[in-house]
Order: sequence, then structure tokens, then C-alpha cells
Amino acid sequence: MKKFMIHSLTVTAIALTCTVVGSARAADISIPPDPGARDARTLVSFACSKCHGPSSNGISISPIFPILAGQNQVYLDTELKLLRQHGRSDPHARAFMWGISHALTDQQIAGLAEYFANLPGVSGQPSSKPELLAKGKDIYENGVPEPNKVVKCSQCHGEVGAGTNNVPRLQGQHKGYMALQLHYYHDKLRENILMQRNVKNITDDQIAAVVEYISTLTGVDPPDSPTPAPTDSPPAAP
Amino acid sequence: MRVLRLGALATTWILAISGLLLVAQTASAIPPFARQTGLACEACHTLPPELTPFGRRFKLNGYTLTTRPPLVNDVDDHKRNTLWLTDLPGIAVLAQMNYSHYDRAPPDTGAPYPAHGQSDTYQFPDQFSLAYAGAVSDHVGAWLQLTYNGQAGGVGVDNIDIRYSDHTFDNKWVWGITANNYLTFQDVWNGIGSYTIPNFNTVSLATGGVGGTGTTGPILNTFGPGVVAGLGAYVFYNDSLYFELSEYHSAFNTGSSAGTPVAESTNLANNGGALDRFAPYARIAYERDWGYHSAEIGASALYANWIPSNGYISKQQQLAADAAGFTPSQTFNPGAVNQYTDLSIDWQYQYNGQHDIFGFLGHVTHERQQNSSQLVAATFTGSTPSGTAIYSNPTDTLTQFLVTAEYFRDRRYGGLVSFTRTTGTYDPLAYGGNGSPANQYETFELDYVPWLNVRFLLQYDAYQVVANNQSPFNLSNASFPNSPGFSNIKASNNNTWVLGLWMDY
Repeated sequence: MKKFMIHSLTVTAIALTCTVVGSARAADISIPPDPGARDARTLVSFACSKCHGPSSNGISISPIFPILAGQNQVYLDTELKLLRQHGRSDPHARAFMWGISHALTDQQIAGLAEYFANLPGVSGQPSSKPELLAKGKDIYENGVPEPNKVVKCSQCHGEVGAGTNNVPRLQGQHKGYMALQLHYYHDKLRENILMQRNVKNITDDQIAAVVEYISTLTGVDPPDSPTPAPTDSPPAAP
Repeated sequence: MRVLRLGALATTWILAISGLLLVAQTASAIPPFARQTGLACEACHTLPPELTPFGRRFKLNGYTLTTRPPLVNDVDDHKRNTLWLTDLPGIAVLAQMNYSHYDRAPPDTGAPYPAHGQSDTYQFPDQFSLAYAGAVSDHVGAWLQLTYNGQAGGVGVDNIDIRYSDHTFDNKWVWGITANNYLTFQDVWNGIGSYTIPNFNTVSLATGGVGGTGTTGPILNTFGPGVVAGLGAYVFYNDSLYFELSEYHSAFNTGSSAGTPVAESTNLANNGGALDRFAPYARIAYERDWGYHSAEIGASALYANWIPSNGYISKQQQLAADAAGFTPSQTFNPGAVNQYTDLSIDWQYQYNGQHDIFGFLGHVTHERQQNSSQLVAATFTGSTPSGTAIYSNPTDTLTQFLVTAEYFRDRRYGGLVSFTRTTGTYDPLAYGGNGSPANQYETFELDYVPWLNVRFLLQYDAYQVVANNQSPFNLSNASFPNSPGFSNIKASNNNTWVLGLWMDY
């Protein structure tokens, strides 16, 4: 019985091995190993999907990484180029995207931006914190008045957080990711002079409230779309 | 006297295994991976060697993710790759240093009491490794490591893992083949095996000690470099379900030429024994990730036929035994074989937040050891080198429980608490003394990580039970004929402070 079991295991192992080796051939032919020669879909499969969605769907699991599905194409293109030239130097950009993006060509970046922009986006979910939600809605739609002024988010990101062109879509984004970016802007760790100014006075409580509200947004913007605003830009030359 | 001699034999076996373990337990954060991918250490590790979900996928994909263009990239007429060479060979230096202080200095067994050994030990280096790690081609990656081990006092082949991997385009299925020389080195979770946390290699009793015995543990932990080599196939489905089937053979580092009986007996002695035929190993694990959280539960099973060196009798020994009148006569090959079955359950929870990292991981391993009837007292047939039986029971069991909780802030400060407890059947001939293999200890560790590839740590190992608690010092089961005044020996005499430095570059 014992011998039979061991033989069975051996046969299974050999079968598995043969299957794997057999399957390997096709992949060798279709996927060149030069990262610079890979098309967007292959890049997503080999690299992006490890963080931004396991089945290449652009929907990341960990809030450390943003959801890219449905993100605005111009914004993605701009950000990837910024990351490639180290024009974004927030800690997570340094840790992850500086390395991953450094060898991307303009053509690959355009392909990636198109790929993610065309994936179905994620909608917000209802909140179980009504007080926080109300406070966040007020900040999002009206901002915070002087002297601790915070500019209303809806001015650029739209009423439902869909953004436009080079203004990022916020709808459906991870709360943790958005909160971290707001902290980065507030602490001037992420370059974007406009956003740094807009949230200069924002508090931790206000960040928690506004991301709570954004995480509930659904739908599409009404016809009068928001005014485009400048996107992240490299640091000004001294 | 007979018991003492057998105890010493058992100690020799354990020492040999411990020595191998020491060689096997090495640093693992690998800067070449960072150079190859352009990613910071934190992409793959919470704190090395513990892997994040991304790090696990990097390893399961065969270490092949790269953002570097190849230096040479040949394709044939069918556009198939014939050569892929990176412009940056993945060479790494891994180093560990430590200073350790024992609670109580052991006596110098060669001199009259109160002469004693040293309480303080400097390991400079404790380990020094050169490694190649990274992509060999677009689907093949390797980890090849050579290590100088300060405790073992030599340079040897350390961990090796060569793997082929591929995946479906949508990443639903990842599969691969791994050829490695360390059972569990191929694993991507940290609750069990070669990268269990805590992982720093100290001279404390738990990792062997200077001249110490190490603590008793399942044979699963001992199949490291120089003892085995194995081949396995794995699949990882839907980012959650992992299944692996492997088999391991004996693999000696020295004198492994076929048809050389001297090499066989020598290597048996060096390695504390050898695998007979092959050992199948199966592993299954389920991982679920959500938000900043990742949780895994897994199980594994190992079946091994093991020839213990103290149960093996060489031709020369057999001739000597025959001349001395031992009856009945035994054939010297394959010798006596014990059968081990190790069943484990392991788990790992990881919170990898923006600033905080928390982990809770561990395993329970139950081992059943069916001893060869040739070596058991009741059925002993007189074939050991010592001419006496080496096990009291036909069957011994061992259960090891390890649980670790850890916390780190901003990947800079942190610490961990770990608890290990091992219990088993009493076997006086195998373990000496009253025959208990039990041990129990905690590890407390504080860490400071000024840079992600440099780590300072202060560790304290506290022992409550060691071996049979009759002679529980780190020279366990040894007698102190020249040290009659060396008394009141307690398990806590093994308590150890460790100040360590870990660098990878």
C-alpha cells in the first residue's frame, strides 16, 4: 500500500512536470523577454497586475496601490511620465513606481493609459458613518472657509468624483489611498502646487471625512462638466 | 555508562543536524531583486525575510519580473528566445554579525572546576554569504548562495532554488517547477519552514549554540543544504489557492561519487544520517487578501525513510562486530531505516498598512517516527556501531508548536515575541536522561532598521524547559566529571542576550 502510494505520487509529480514543461513552449514564442518590447496588455499581465489587480482588471486589493480601472486616460499618461522622470517623489512613488516605470517608452505608457482607462471603473459604496459622511460632503462640495481655507474638491473632480482629462477620477478609489495622497499633498511630499495649496490647511479629521464621502460617490457627472485643472507637475525649476 | 554513551551518540546526531541547520538559516533580503525590478525592499518584504503578498507572487513567478532591458537577446527563426542575458548580474552580499551573552558560562569539561567556558561570544561574522539571485531567462530564475558560517567554521553551498514559472495571461493560474536543496525554502509564507519568524541566526540554544545541542525538533526542519535535493511542481490559482508536490533525495556535499562506499559512510556520519530512496512532500495553502490585510492557512505532509548515522553500520564495523561475536550478523547496507511522517498546519496573518505592520504567524507540526526494529531495545539485533540499541520505543512522536507576534512602525522600529514548545514521547535511549525531548522557550526581539538593508536587533531568548530538564544546560546531556561543583543547573541557564547586525547589499 505504501509502495503504491509512493509510486502514485511519483507518477503525479512527473505528470505535473510534463504538463508544465509542455505548456511552456507557447509562452516562449509569444512573450519576448525585453521589457521594452512588450505591449501594454503583456506589461499589465507581467508587472502592473501584481499590485493593481490580480487578474489584470485594474482593481487593486491593497489600499497602498490605487485602483486604475476607469481612470482618466490623460491623467494616467501624465502620471506615468512624471513617475518615469521622477517628477513625483512621494514615498510610495519612490518605492514602487520609479523602478517599474523607468524603462517604459512613450508608446508603452500611452498603451497602458488606454488599457486602464477602458476598463470598467468602480463605484462607491454606502457609508455606515452618517456624521462623518455629512461633514465630508460639506467639505467636498463647499470646501472650508477662511482662515483655514480648503478648496472644494468638486470644483475640479466633479460632483460624482469622475474627474476629467488630467484631473483624476476619485470615485471608487480606496479610502486609504486617497487619505495618504491628501497627507502627501499637505506635507508637500507629492508634487502638485495646486493640490498642495488646496489642502494646505486640511486637518486629519477633515481628510477622514472627505475620503469617507468620496468613497460613497456613484454615477456620472451632469452635462456641465467640471473645469479642468492642472495636474501633477514636476517641481518648478529653481 | 551505557546510557551515557548512547546519549552521546544521540547528541552527535543532533549536533550534526544542528550544524546543518545553522548553515541553512541565512539572511534573505536580496538587493539584486531590487536592482532587477527597480522596486524598493518594501514592495516584497514587510521586513526581510517576511514576504508581502507581492513578494510571494514575485517568488512564485520564478524571480523573473524585471524592468531592465537584456544585454543580449537572441531569437531564432521562429522568434523563440535562445539567449537572454541581463545587463546586471544579480550578485549580493549578505552578512550577519552578533554578540551573545549566556546567562551562565558552561564549565570547561577538560579542566577542574571552577574553570569554565566563555559567557560572551562574538560572531564576526556569524554568516557571510555571496549569492546570485534573479532572472536567468524570461521564465527561469535562480537563487544560488555560498555561505561562510562562523559557527560551523567553514564555507559551504547554502540555499539553492532554481525555478521555472509561467502563468496564464489573466494571471488566474501561475505554475512552476522548483529544484532546490532545502525543504520549505521554496515556500512563500513564513509560518513554517526555512523562513519562519524569528529568523536571525544566533548562537542561542534554539539555533544550536556554541557547542550546544540545539533543541529537538521535527525532521522536517533538518532537510537543508548538504542533506537533500528535491524537485517540485506547484500551481497557484486565482491568487489564493496553492498546491505543491515535491520529492527529495539525499544530496551530499562531499564525496558523492557513485560506487564509493567510503563516501557513503562518511557522509552518513557528517549529515547525521541520510534519506533512503526519496521523500514525498505535499503542500497546500489558501491565502486571502483584503485591504491592508493578508491571511493564509496551510497544511503540509512529509513522508521520509531516514537512515540514522548512529544506526548505520559500515562494512568495516560489521566485520569488526562479526569478529567480536555479535549475533546475529547484519548486512551493512542499507542499514536500519526509520520512517517519519510529519504533518503540519501553519498560518500567517499580516497587516501591512501605511505606517504599521503587524503579523501573527506560526505552525503546529506533529511527527510520528517509526523506529527500525533493528534499533529498538526490545527487538535489537546488535547492528549499531556501539553494539547497543538506540531507541526505547518502536514508535516515537513529537509535536512542535510555534507562534510569533510582531509589530513594526514605519519599517524602522519594531519587535516581536515568539513562543516555541515541543513535546513528545519519552524515549530514554534516544534522548538520554529521563527520555523527554521537551523544550520550551520564548524569543523577545527589538529591531531598529535605519535603512531597509541594515538591521540592528536586540534579542533575548528565555528557556523554561530544555531537553529532559535533568541536565538542561546547552551542553545538554553531557557529564561534567571535572566539575562536581557545577550544580543547580536550570533551563534558564541557557537564557541568552543577542545583539545582532544584519546587512544585505
